[in-house]
Amino acid sequence: MLSRKARLPMRRFAIAVAVLASLLISSTALAAYQYAPPRQWSPGATAGSTYSPNWLANYFMTYGSGYDKTVTFIRNTNYGWYNTKRGTADYLETYAPFDGTYKAHCVAHAWFWGSCNVR
Amino acid sequence: MTAVGAALASAVVASSFDDGSSLTAAIDEAPLVRVADIEADEGAPALGVYTQLTDTGHVCVWEAVSAASRRGGGCNTVDDPLNGQPVSFTLSYDGGPAPVDVRSATVFGLALSEVAGVRILMSDGSWRAVKLKKARVGADEFKAFGYRFRKSDLKSGNGPVAVVAFAASGAEIGRQTTGIG
Repeated sequence: MLSRKARLPMRRFAIAVAVLASLLISSTALAAYQYAPPRQWSPGATAGSTYSPNWLANYFMTYGSGYDKTVTFIRNTNYGWYNTKRGTADYLETYAPFDGTYKAHCVAHAWFWGSCNVR
Repeated sequence: MTAVGAALASAVVASSFDDGSSLTAAIDEAPLVRVADIEADEGAPALGVYTQLTDTGHVCVWEAVSAASRRGGGCNTVDDPLNGQPVSFTLSYDGGPAPVDVRSATVFGLALSEVAGVRILMSDGSWRAVKLKKARVGADEFKAFGYRFRKSDLKSGNGPVAVVAFAASGAEIGRQTTGIG
């Protein structure tokens, strides 16, 4: 049985780990919103986030390389596509225009496993 | 308690990989190197093509106004930076989704160092040559390129069908379709 004095550093360490873990969870949640969680995609499949004036970047991650896909931002007024990127990189990213309200949108052009995220 | 804490921390770190947070953080930290230029055209600004080697082991290729501005492009693992092809590219455009609504479009990417030429096959059967510039990413040599499509091509619906790599002999050594055009 450990003395109270000996248990104190362990308790502090446990609290520090818990705080660190919640900070990491919070920062991860703030860093990216996974509007299309990891799943199997097929040609023509799409997904979109909610509209927001605060989005910074939209990215499509695939597990494995060489899969054709598109990421873009769609404006809430004319539904036009902005800063569209299409390619086969494992990680494909585009950025939001500075003005207006947009939703992140991603499109698969092949069969693959992947996720779409916006931050 | 230590084991539980370590397991919890590992789980948190693992979850961050699932949404790409570790790579996006690495992208924010790694320096960018300008390797090619894209000309300005009728209101569209001049752009640079930038490469980046991240500490997560990714080679990224971006298109941006400057190294400090917002950017778009993609990343592959350093052991397969061109997806096993002699040329790898990103197509970038504003407008659409219908091709007739596209206002500006560019293509940029990297080719293997042994590639002597890269040309773009258009939907009307014509070709557009792109300039290649030597680019070093980490220990590896590549050739970088960036090209802005002509307004006249966009207005007439003449889109890019494929990006094709050629050897010094003139032989085609790789072709990747764009999926449009």
